[in-house]
Amino acid sequence: MKLANISKKVHKWLMLFIGVQFVIWSVTGAYMVFFDIDYIHGDSLVVTHQNTIKPENLTFTSSALYKRFPNAKKLSVDLLIDREIYRFSNNGQKVTLDARTGELLSPINKSLASAIAKHAYTGNDDIVSTELITENPPFELSARHLPVWQINFDHFSSPSLYVSANTGEVVTKRHSFWRLFDWMFRFHIMEYGGESDVSNWLLFIISTLALIAALSGLVLTYSRVVRPFIFPQKKRKSSAKKTPRKIKLSTDKQS
Amino acid sequence: MMKWVRKIHKWGSLLIGLQVLIWVISGLTFNVIDHEKASGNTYRQKMIAKQPVPSGVNLLSVEKILQSYPDTIKLTQTTLLSTPYYLLTHKKGLYRHLENNYHLVNATNGQLTQVDEKFAADIAKASYSGPGNIASVTLLTPPIDDFLIQKNPTWQINFSDELETSVYVEQGSGRLVGHSNSDKRFADFFFMLHFMDYGSAGNFNSIQIMLFAFITLWLTLSGLIWTVHMLSKGKYNLK
Repeated sequence: MKLANISKKVHKWLMLFIGVQFVIWSVTGAYMVFFDIDYIHGDSLVVTHQNTIKPENLTFTSSALYKRFPNAKKLSVDLLIDREIYRFSNNGQKVTLDARTGELLSPINKSLASAIAKHAYTGNDDIVSTELITENPPFELSARHLPVWQINFDHFSSPSLYVSANTGEVVTKRHSFWRLFDWMFRFHIMEYGGESDVSNWLLFIISTLALIAALSGLVLTYSRVVRPFIFPQKKRKSSAKKTPRKIKLSTDKQS
Repeated sequence: MMKWVRKIHKWGSLLIGLQVLIWVISGLTFNVIDHEKASGNTYRQKMIAKQPVPSGVNLLSVEKILQSYPDTIKLTQTTLLSTPYYLLTHKKGLYRHLENNYHLVNATNGQLTQVDEKFAADIAKASYSGPGNIASVTLLTPPIDDFLIQKNPTWQINFSDELETSVYVEQGSGRLVGHSNSDKRFADFFFMLHFMDYGSAGNFNSIQIMLFAFITLWLTLSGLIWTVHMLSKGKYNLK
């Protein structure tokens, strides 16, 4: 079988160079597949409270609000932990106001940010640190969320909740398993830092070689596993004519 | 030991070889396709208000609205087709695509508004810049093939263009869920193959892919050992 011989050479040599990437693909792929994606996204870290607004608590009326902020736009009413609040945009700036007293809550202070995070957090773990991030967000945080409070909890998966300093909303969350997932993903798509164009080309070249390696591997699977299984008689007959079966088998093993 | 390594590699390849090929082909596809096109937004345009939206002070007061709808978790002011509305949340999902429950109230006259067939079609039209006309409007209940993450009833508005564009509008809120077209469906098909999501669960945490991933680990690690073994035995020589 000529095709099988060529495939054997191609598979052997290609895998010498790109086999490691196959290992990386399978390890990173397995990680991403085995961990539930909702767990990875930290959905179980936070509670979605369903408490309802009590209209009688809006003692600082919306008309008073418009008097004080004539340019207020996109008004919303929400609950911040247990108090009714107004949120609106005022000349492009997001503002949060206590709907009972009209007290300005934004920018959210440290103790309120911690309380919001604690209220949203599923567990009972203590807060390790609460830090305000106004610029240079860490990799895991999108710049559009700034300014934001990062509240870190005492848990082996190092959960962080991010609370917007303007709106008091939990805008995103992270934990070790998600951070690791991001790394796995980057290795999976071969984004080893640097220009994205370069890594795209790298992925293209390696994937194309991988395609050839996989195809040659499949030819070998057919000639080495499937064919002998389907035609055991034929093989025995043909090999019996030329060489004893035992020798044939031992050459197989060496490759 | 090498005997077992080879056995594992051979039988592993028999079990999952074809899927490995599918993974490589679909992976290569993601690498070469035009992601701009595959986003399905070829004919999507920003919805621009045709007339100025009345400022908040001229709208019905939020207190009044909340008194009429007592079980409200959150009230937000939104604009649909240049008309201001209050969107009242009665059941809140962690994300907006998760199961939720809304009331939509006209913010000028207080009328409870349903996003019906015509309203949904108008929203879809406002977001559409292509040459086609509306061919059909259908209310879908999840799962929705083009947007598997969307868990709420959604209007599907189909346009008669060469890309077979479909626009999706959430029934409860009038929110534009997104656009899809044949380019996106082409990419989605390869994602389905790559994730082995043959049951259309919309994720890659199915039993079948876990099983295959497990066997793949054995396949690649046995291959690695085999290669290292051949290297150490001097089997890699250019004759």
